[in-house]
Amino acid sequence: MIALNRRHLLLAGCAATLVTATPGAFANTGASQGRKLVVIILRGAMDGIAALPKIDDPDIRSHRASLLDAEAIPLSDGFALHSAMPALAAMYASKEAAFMPALAGPYRERSHFEAQDLLECGEIAKVSADGWLNRALQKAPGAYGAVSIGPTQPLILRGASTKTSSWSPAVLPEASDDTLARLLDLYENDPILKPALVSALGADSVAGAMETKAMGGGRGGSAQYVTQLEAAGRFLSQPDGPEIAVVSLEGWDTHTGQNAALRQRFAALDNGIKALKASLGQSWGKTAIVAVSEFGRTVRVNGGGGTDHGTGGLAILAGGAIKGGRLYGDWPSLRSSALFENRDLMPTVDSRQVFKGLLRDHLGWAQRDLDTTVFHDSAKARALEDLV
Amino acid sequence: MTELQAAIAATRFGMGAAPGEIRAAASDPRGWLKAQITPAAVLMPADDLLSAKQVFEARQDAYGMNGAPGQDANGVRSEAQPMIQKQVQRETRDGLLREVEARSRHAATTPNSFAERWHRFWANHFTVAARNAQVVGLVGPFEREAIRTNVFGRFSTLLAAATFHPGMLVYLDAARSIGPSTKVAERRDAGLNENLAREILELHTIGVGSGYTQADIIEFAKALTGWTVAGPQTARLAGLGKQKQGGRGQRARQQAAAPPADEYGEAVFVEPLHEPGPRTVLRKTYNVSAHDQAAAVLGDLAANPATAKHIATKLARHFVSDTPPASAVAKLESSFTKTDGDLSLLARAVVDLEEAWNETSQKFKSAEELLVSAARAAGAQATFGGAQRAVYTSLAQQPFGAPSPAGWPDDTTSWSGSDAIKKRLEWANAVSRRMARGETPSEFLYRALGRIASDKTRQAVARAESAEQGFTIALMSPEFQRR
Repeated sequence: MIALNRRHLLLAGCAATLVTATPGAFANTGASQGRKLVVIILRGAMDGIAALPKIDDPDIRSHRASLLDAEAIPLSDGFALHSAMPALAAMYASKEAAFMPALAGPYRERSHFEAQDLLECGEIAKVSADGWLNRALQKAPGAYGAVSIGPTQPLILRGASTKTSSWSPAVLPEASDDTLARLLDLYENDPILKPALVSALGADSVAGAMETKAMGGGRGGSAQYVTQLEAAGRFLSQPDGPEIAVVSLEGWDTHTGQNAALRQRFAALDNGIKALKASLGQSWGKTAIVAVSEFGRTVRVNGGGGTDHGTGGLAILAGGAIKGGRLYGDWPSLRSSALFENRDLMPTVDSRQVFKGLLRDHLGWAQRDLDTTVFHDSAKARALEDLV
Repeated sequence: MTELQAAIAATRFGMGAAPGEIRAAASDPRGWLKAQITPAAVLMPADDLLSAKQVFEARQDAYGMNGAPGQDANGVRSEAQPMIQKQVQRETRDGLLREVEARSRHAATTPNSFAERWHRFWANHFTVAARNAQVVGLVGPFEREAIRTNVFGRFSTLLAAATFHPGMLVYLDAARSIGPSTKVAERRDAGLNENLAREILELHTIGVGSGYTQADIIEFAKALTGWTVAGPQTARLAGLGKQKQGGRGQRARQQAAAPPADEYGEAVFVEPLHEPGPRTVLRKTYNVSAHDQAAAVLGDLAANPATAKHIATKLARHFVSDTPPASAVAKLESSFTKTDGDLSLLARAVVDLEEAWNETSQKFKSAEELLVSAARAAGAQATFGGAQRAVYTSLAQQPFGAPSPAGWPDDTTSWSGSDAIKKRLEWANAVSRRMARGETPSEFLYRALGRIASDKTRQAVARAESAEQGFTIALMSPEFQRR
C-alpha cells in the first residue's frame, strides 16, 4: 500500500481519512503518458434494461411496460438512455461515452457475494485472495499505482502489489439507506430494536426509507456517489497521481419499487460522472471509465414493482479516451426463447474482454500477461478491440 | 432440538459461538457446559501482566504515599516531578491497555466461554473500576487474583478474597478508613469511611432492602478498620499510634503491627488503625480478636439467607431474563443455601435451570458482550483491530470502567437506547468491511448462531446486496443482538 501524501489529501478537498498506508509514493515513470483508468463497481446489480432500454425490441413492452421511462433519451440503434442521465447522453452524442448492453462475467449463479468476488478477483469459479487489478499492477508496463475510494481496500485491488492505497471521506462509513431499510424490515416485530432504530434515524428519514423500501436517498448510498467520483478524479489528475482508480457505488439491488429508486441512483451516477470529468480536468481526454455490476436483473417485472437477480447487464464506458457514440456487443433480444433460463438477458460480451481491452490498448499491458496472469487462463475471453 | 440447545449453550451460557463450537456442543449441550466448571478452565494467560504487588512496587518510587508522584515520603517534591508524573501516567495507561487487551483476547479465544461468562458475572458483582489514578493499576490484578481464582470455590471464600484485596480496599476507600477513637485518627484528623461496608451489604451480600440499618453500616465499617494496603504511609501511621501510647509491652505489639517493607503492596491488617472493642452488626455481637472481626462478619453475611436470595435473583436475571420467574430464582436460592454457597454446584444448577433454555433469546447483549461474541465468531482481528478502545468508548462500555460499584447494568433498557443502537449499527457497518472473505454472510450467520437465527434473519442475510451488507445485517440481527 502506498501512502497518499498530504498534498494528495488536501487536493482531494475533503476531511480525509487515509485507511491504509505504508511509506512510499506514486512514482510515475511516464510509461502511461498520462492515461488514466477508472473502474466503477455498481454493487447490488444495476438493472441495465432500465438504464438503457432497447425501445424498439418487440418484446420490451410485454416484459416491462411498468418499468419503462417514457422520457428516455434516444441514442442510436433503437436504444434510449434513462432521462435521469442527461450528462451521459450528451457524452454519447459527443462520442465520449459508449455502452455494452448485454455483458456478464463467466459466472452464471445469482449470489451477489460470489458474483462480486469473482468479478473482482477475475476468476471463473473459485474466489482467489487477490484481485485482478492487483495482479495487473505486478505486470504493469510502468510503475503504475492505483487508489480505491472507500473505507477499505476492495478485493479487486488486494494482493501482493503494494502500489495501492485507499481513501475514504469519513471515519466510520454510514450504513446506507438500503441497509437501514432492510434492518427496519427485519425488526418489524421487534419491540426493542425497531423503536430504537426508528428513533435514532429520526421520524422523517425513516418514513422515507420505509415508503421506498430498499430505496431512499440522503444517507450513504447514492448521496456519496458524487463525492466518491469527484475524489477519484482529484487523485488521478495530480501530476504524480496514480493511473488507476476504483470506486464502489452501492445500492443497486432494486427488488421493489425500483422506478423511483433507480431514477435517484441514475441521477446520482450521472452527476458523479459529470463531477469526475470536472475534477479530472485536463486528464479527462486521456481517461477511460468503465462501470459494471456483478450481474444484471430479470427481464420481467416481479410482483413488487422491481426486478430480481439476473445475468446479462449493462457496462457503461466514458471518458475522453473512449471511442464513444456507439454500442459494443450484440443485442441478444428479449424474446422469451432468447433469454437465459427464460428469465435473464443473455450476455454477449464477457466482462473480462472489456477489462483486457482497456488494459492492453489504453494502458499498454502485454496480451500474454493479460491472458495468463491478470485473468488466469483467459485466452478465450479475447480482449475487445477498438475501445479506445 | 439438541442443535438448538447447543447454539443456546454457546451463545447464552457461553460468550458467543467460536468456529465449530456449536457442533462440538451438539452431542451433549449441558455436559459441554458442565465440563467447563473447573478452576483450571477459568484461568487466563497473564505472562506480561503485573500483580497488585508488582504494580505497587513499580509505582512506589514515583508515588510517595502522600498520593502524588514525584514526592518523597515527606511530601517534598523532586525537581524531576513533572517528568515522573508523565511517566507514571503513561505506564499506568499502558498497563491498563495491556490488561484490557489480554482480557479481550482471552474472552475472544477461550474454549471455556461459559467459565469466562461465570467469571465476568462475579467480576461485575464485585466491581472494582478504574475510577482514579490510585486504583487504575489494580483493576486487572484484582480480577485475576481475587475473582478469577475463586469463582468455582465457596462464595464465602470469594467474598473474603474480594474484600481483602488491595484493589477493593483502595476502590471503596477502606484503605484510608481509620477507627475514629484510635490515637492515629486523633493525631491525623482522619476517621471512618463507610463506603466499603455499605457496598458489601448493599451490593455484594444481603442486598438493599434486606433490613440493615445505618447503625449496622457504621458498626461494620468499624470492624473493617485496620485493613489497608501495606506501604511506607501505613507504616508511618502505625508508628503514630505507637509514639503516643508508650509502654514497653504496647510498643512491642505496635512495632509488630507496622507492616514490614517486604509486605508493601499487600493487603494487611494494621491494628493501630483498627477501632478497638466488640462490634454489633445485624443484631449479632462480635467479640473476637481485632484481626478476625471483619472476617467473622463477612462469614455470617455469606451465610445469610438474604444473600442467597440476592445472588440467586441476579444470576437468574443474567441467564434467564430481566424479569426471571420466581421458580428459577427459587431453584438457585435453594442450591446456594443447601450447598453452603458452593459456586461450582451453583454453576451446575444454572446449567440445569429449565427456564434458562427458553428457545427465544430474552437477554439483550451489553456492548462488551456484543463485541466479544462478534470477535469469537469472526476472529478478534476483524472486530477489535487497532481502534479497540475507540470502539468500546463509542459503544459506552469501557472495560474496567463500570460507572459505579454496582457494576454494569444487566437489563435491556440500559443497552438498547436509540443512540446505542445507532452506534452499534455504525460499528457493525465498519466491522463488516474488515470481516474475512472466504465465507459468505450466511455461513457466518450459521456459524455464529446456528439454529437460533430465524428464517427471516437468514433470508435477510442471504439476500443482502453485498457481503458487507450481509455481515452488517447478521451482526445487527435481533438474534445476534441478544443471547
